[in-house]
Amino acid sequence: MKRVVVLGGGIGGTTVANRIRRLLANEVAGGQVQIQVVDRDGIHAYQPGFLMVVFDKMRPEETKQAESHLLHRSIELVKAEVEKVDTAAKKVLVKGGREISYDLLVIASGSVLHPELVPGFSEAAHTFYDLANAEKLRDTLRTFSGGRIVVNVAGLPYKCPVAPLEVSFMLDDFLRSRGVRDKSEIHYTYPIPKVFGIDTVAPVMQKLMVDRGISIHVPFNVQTIDPAKKTMTSLEGETLPFDLLIGIPPHRGADFLKDSGLGDKGNWVPTDRYALTADGKEGIFVLGDATNIPISKAGSTADYEAEVVAQNVASVVRGGGVTARYEGRVYCWIMTGLTQATYIKFDYLHPPHPPTPSFAHYWNKTIYNRAYWDMTARAMF
Amino acid sequence: MSVGAGPATAPATARRVIDARGSWCPGPLMELIAAIREEDVGTEIELLSSDEGSRKDVPLWLEKAGQRLLAMTSEGGFDRYVIQKVR
Repeated sequence: MKRVVVLGGGIGGTTVANRIRRLLANEVAGGQVQIQVVDRDGIHAYQPGFLMVVFDKMRPEETKQAESHLLHRSIELVKAEVEKVDTAAKKVLVKGGREISYDLLVIASGSVLHPELVPGFSEAAHTFYDLANAEKLRDTLRTFSGGRIVVNVAGLPYKCPVAPLEVSFMLDDFLRSRGVRDKSEIHYTYPIPKVFGIDTVAPVMQKLMVDRGISIHVPFNVQTIDPAKKTMTSLEGETLPFDLLIGIPPHRGADFLKDSGLGDKGNWVPTDRYALTADGKEGIFVLGDATNIPISKAGSTADYEAEVVAQNVASVVRGGGVTARYEGRVYCWIMTGLTQATYIKFDYLHPPHPPTPSFAHYWNKTIYNRAYWDMTARAMF
Repeated sequence: MSVGAGPATAPATARRVIDARGSWCPGPLMELIAAIREEDVGTEIELLSSDEGSRKDVPLWLEKAGQRLLAMTSEGGFDRYVIQKVR
């Protein structure tokens, strides 16, 4: 029997497991292939929904489901935290002492937030990169009567690269709808000398910001935050005061990757950008945020990568080779207000050109927010 | 292509070398920023980048950050930036 083990029950891990199961349906049903997903808590979060929660556009309970409800019934869910991968012995060691052997391993362990890497962040900053903090920010905004708001990205890479743009545009719209925009300032900070990393997108977003009266501070690499004085200071020497700070904390790959000799300095797995195999490691595939590929750490990236990984896993299980290629496909909506959006669609060879923001793009995004569970996580379409 | 003053080779003191060849924008710049955070004032950092976007972003960031670009040279298929942390 061939054993396929997937580490992580986020979008990448869940959809790739379901896709592998479908491609190998006969082998799984016949007991020649076993698929296991190892996930820390068995709760699947639709992370793009957190930003929607901030602005009361989704309810918190709409952003999560039990992982067991999303995986095909023939896939075993192991609720455990990974401690280490022994690549020589082809075993995954999880907390509690259990060892899980594999023939093929898929690493989809995502990224981990590290607010402690910025002094003062945890005490002073709101964030929306986890559900509990998104709800706190929502509650704060409900009673916000005006003031100086700073949006900060602590470092690159981080997941959902367009989210800081989105929160800025949505804030502008939200404050206008509440009648307090004229009593408020929005300041957008970003670590590189432009408002976004992709050259064809940055000028478009910058123009939208200027049109909305959003102040831009780039490059701004936060060094320290003073919670008492409510100021943040950058490596470039700029100090910004704030009444409300919305921060994207530093990201790293999962800790076990370093302990397993699989991660680089940031705990990202060096990965072949086309084959999505771990460099120099036999039988290990990588997708989603966990890779070191310099492309958006976004849900759509993981989804498109999962198609390729599933095909290659199925091929290898059947004695074939790694022939399917990931061409760098990404598709992200960008909320440019509370009821309008644009999108970016690109791959390694074709940069994105976001269309004019419209209600129609927002509506598509809204539909996807509901369709995600069946369309992407269960991989039913 | 060469800009700035100071030696691009044969440094008088030990340099930290960041080989960011093969990494895309803004990867090389972010690696440089991480090194600037970690090193002491006075340290020289040598950044190797094959990304064309670095040619604009690296000097622009150094100017904003008040750090010194000692040299920038084009070599076969990549650029070599020599930087000194001055603040």
